[in-house]
Amino acid sequence: MTDPNEPLPDFSDVQGGSSSTAPKPQEQTYTVVKGDSLSKIAKALYGSAGKWKVIYEANKDMIKNPDLIYPGQVLRIPPV
Amino acid sequence: MRTHFLHRAAAAATVLSVVAVGCKKAAPPPPAAPPPAPVAVASVDLGKQLGPDKRVVQAMTTFGVRDTIYASVATTGTATSAVLTALWTFQTGQKVDSTATTIAPTGPAQTEFHIVKASPWPKGKYKVAIWLDGQVAGEKEFEVK
Repeated sequence: MTDPNEPLPDFSDVQGGSSSTAPKPQEQTYTVVKGDSLSKIAKALYGSAGKWKVIYEANKDMIKNPDLIYPGQVLRIPPV
Repeated sequence: MRTHFLHRAAAAATVLSVVAVGCKKAAPPPPAAPPPAPVAVASVDLGKQLGPDKRVVQAMTTFGVRDTIYASVATTGTATSAVLTALWTFQTGQKVDSTATTIAPTGPAQTEFHIVKASPWPKGKYKVAIWLDGQVAGEKEFEVK
């Protein structure tokens, strides 16, 4: 039984990683549609909204502000 | 008379075989290759050491507080792009770590996820859930003692 007053353990120093025998996919592209955000695209394509920075870094030449992307923009989606 | 009949029969057979060849249907096209099986998770094994094939050397569900914990995920099938995610949680439901990787398997493949902690692991029960393209595809529970 867990004591509800007990402080939660700290997992901030956990590091995770992965590797695979399967090949990585080729770089894809994604055309922004209305209502998209980098985190929404990252969630859909990488399974994690937190990976939005990967898309931002790969498209810094066309994205000045990561909160502002426009319908019709074609983004490079690097494999993670 | 009998010989004459045999000659006529042989001639008729020849004519029939020529007609048969002339009317022969074009060979049917070979059956289309079955579509490749979509990627699926076949198994999840936990361990504290990996072999070069990314399988755990020895499957286990109990770990020490200083261990690196590996989850080795076997997949079958093919995909041009599939997202595998490992979500590690503690018994309280607290998230320990989440790692996603995109793979393009062309057949059976092995993908490993691991977690390591600078300070000792809190003792207790943990769970790793493996997601494939946004759907839970496997789970494994383990304990740190």
